[in-house]
Amino acid sequence: MMQTDWNSLPDEEFREIFRDWVDDNCPSELRYMRKQRPTYEEVKDWYQALSEKGWLSPVWPVEHGGMGLNPAKHMIYVEEWARLGCPRIPDHGIGLVGPLLIQYGTAEQKAEFLPKILSGEHMWCQGYSEPNAGSDLASLRTSAVLEDGHFVVNGQKIWTTLAHCANWIFVLVRTDKEAKPQRGISVLLVDMSLPGVTVRPIANLRGEKDFCEVFFDSVKVPAHRLVGEVNQGWTLAKSVLGHERIFLGAPTRPEYALGRLEKLATSRGAFDDPAFLSRYAKLRLDLYDLGSSFERFAKILRSGGELGADVSMLKIFNTELYQRITEEMLMLAGEESRYNDDLETENGDVDAMNLFLDSRAPAIFGGSNEIQRNILAKAVLGLPG
Amino acid sequence: MPQMVMDDEDGELAMLRDSVAAFAENRPGPKTVRALRGDHRDMDTAQWTEMAEAGWLGLMLPEELGGAGLGIRHQAIISEALGRALIPSPMTTASVLSSLLLAAAPDSAERSRLAEGLIAGSAIVVPAIEANGHLVRLNGRREGNVIRLDGHIEFVEAAHSATDFIVLAEVDGKTLLLSLPSDCTGLSRADKEGVEGTPLSILVLEGCRVAPEKCLIDGADAKTVAKAIDLARVAASAELSGIASRAFEMAREYTVNRVQFGKPIASFQVIQHRLVDLWSEAEMAAAAVVNAIEFLEGEDEKASRLAVLAAKARASDAASLIARRAIHLYGAMGFTDESDIGLYLKRAINLGGMLGQAEQLRRQFVIEERAA
Ligand SMILES: Cc1cc2nc3c(=O)[nH]c(=O)nc-3n(C[C@H](O)[C@H](O)[C@H](O)COP(=O)(O)OP(=O)(O)OC[C@H]3O[C@@H](n4cnc5c(N)ncnc54)[C@H](O)[C@@H]3O)c2cc1C
Repeated sequence: MMQTDWNSLPDEEFREIFRDWVDDNCPSELRYMRKQRPTYEEVKDWYQALSEKGWLSPVWPVEHGGMGLNPAKHMIYVEEWARLGCPRIPDHGIGLVGPLLIQYGTAEQKAEFLPKILSGEHMWCQGYSEPNAGSDLASLRTSAVLEDGHFVVNGQKIWTTLAHCANWIFVLVRTDKEAKPQRGISVLLVDMSLPGVTVRPIANLRGEKDFCEVFFDSVKVPAHRLVGEVNQGWTLAKSVLGHERIFLGAPTRPEYALGRLEKLATSRGAFDDPAFLSRYAKLRLDLYDLGSSFERFAKILRSGGELGADVSMLKIFNTELYQRITEEMLMLAGEESRYNDDLETENGDVDAMNLFLDSRAPAIFGGSNEIQRNILAKAVLGLPG
Repeated sequence: MPQMVMDDEDGELAMLRDSVAAFAENRPGPKTVRALRGDHRDMDTAQWTEMAEAGWLGLMLPEELGGAGLGIRHQAIISEALGRALIPSPMTTASVLSSLLLAAAPDSAERSRLAEGLIAGSAIVVPAIEANGHLVRLNGRREGNVIRLDGHIEFVEAAHSATDFIVLAEVDGKTLLLSLPSDCTGLSRADKEGVEGTPLSILVLEGCRVAPEKCLIDGADAKTVAKAIDLARVAASAELSGIASRAFEMAREYTVNRVQFGKPIASFQVIQHRLVDLWSEAEMAAAAVVNAIEFLEGEDEKASRLAVLAAKARASDAASLIARRAIHLYGAMGFTDESDIGLYLKRAINLGGMLGQAEQLRRQFVIEERAA
């Protein structure tokens, strides 16, 4: 019989079962991928292996095909995944659309979409940001007008990660132009093969095309693709993330980068240099201490509590530490910092430039670090203004 | 607009600056960068010829060698302006450093040939000497009349287009400055991709045989070479300073025009403070380069040496810091390849790593300052 009540297992036992299976089943050629956002095609085998095992979706309730993990077990899942160097899978469906539908979707929507996320038939992307609505997301202008049982959608989304490899997009659209910005937004599920949807990939700083512009030109979306009530989209979109906000602070990237820094430093004999050692020690302990702070928030989740706005501090520290580590890597590389190519060491290549460039992004996405600081200033410190 | 401020009574420097700006109008730097990396070319030779026509190549070569005989002050103005406009070229190496090495060599037919070609743009004379803090990487042996060279040299730019390389080799306990034709038998090349997407090469010499008349300096003293490198460092620093200034201006322009929450984002105080810090970094870089130029024009060797080390370190760090921060201020737009700001960051890293990296140079500064 398939194990379903994972939460009843002691943490360490669950960790062991999960780790052993992942280690045996995640193809070695997919481990420690250079790419942050591989496409479905690139990680299909791993996606399908998880799907067959029933482990693709850690948080969804068991009745919908998920593992039904509580936050404590979910953290173990995420930790072991990172520790074993497993690639990120296209997870907008699992991480965002699933929870949205489970919470707010109709029975038909759940029946139609959830199984197809699990099977890999539907690849989702997230259409929130627009050219003029980034940090100020509520100012979005892509419009949807109800006509004869269809929402007619016009406008443009941008920075849509993996849109060029997706067949469905969940979009925030403006359904009431008169209301206050946050009150006139709805969530629509849009089949990207509908006439009028155009996708243009945008190359990023590393030359990879993993985010896109998505254009909507009078796209006719059946009215039953609306999620929840009309004009309630803002609340819906804000509420799906819940405990998962802690993962923006999970030190996965800095941990990985520090490992690479250590490898390069060992190879270049830098640990014999007291100046390097001292700078390294600072980074090492920043990472160590980030672990302690992460743990503080993790404990809240483990004891069944809810995260407050203060969890944003992790995201800021985490993403800025990632940048500092990769900057140190370039400094250590010396003249080799002039290379785009990976740096050779006795123990394998180190992708210094790749990481340095990648580390520019997390401080921007997921709510930029300035926006996080604004939240902390107001909601946590209660500062005036 | 941060820039190097120097006395310019007859307006010569301003004219040079304007001429580069006008050049950049016709040949926008970012466009050239994209074209080069698109087809994995090491440099734009047509543009190089135009630079020769503009009189910018071999600017520091003495008049008796056909050069303009101008000083580092003029060179720095050009380099700064090239940096601002992001015009890619091996100016620091294939014009400045080569010129200075040729100028340091005694008169010879080979020297005249190279100088003439360098000025005209018909010879692309690439120095392959200083890399990763090491000066002499080649071993030479006399075989009768000819000199046999073995070894390898990393981080050579413009190695595909080069017609001649200038190298240093250890021969019988003496350091020789030699010119090496790029089609020399025994010379091969391995390419790495540089951060700007253009190749940086490793030259491999296996039994390259060089005729005696290719020897430019028989017994080059370390000081002569170090002096040439220091001047080249100032040119690189000026270019970096130009990058820093322009990247700051781009951050300013972007945040003034970008509206979120109903206001330009530059109206948020936190962004204003960031911009002020970046501006001040760019100003510091420009002042550091001017300081180096002024010392180099004076007599005090130790002071000018220190000033050069400080300038290169400051300008490298300022350029890369400003470009990094600017990317952040651009938001997701900064993380695209379509936006030019990323190209500024990559150039800053490329030049920052060349002829000594900031940390190395700062340490060298302290060692030399404290030396009796
Ligand atoms: C790699 C990557 C992937 C992404 N994937 C997706 C995706 O799949 N779907 C999607 O919808 N979006 C996605 N985004 C977009 C992301 O959500 C936005 O980049 C983010 O919301 C910031 O918006 P912006 O880029 O327009 O920057 P802007 O909002 O224009 O901000 C520019 C700068 O101003 C600062 N700033 C803005 N407002 C303030 C303020 N009030 N106070 C102080 N500083 C401020 C910001 O911190 C930033 O430094 C992605 C972005 C990146 C970089």
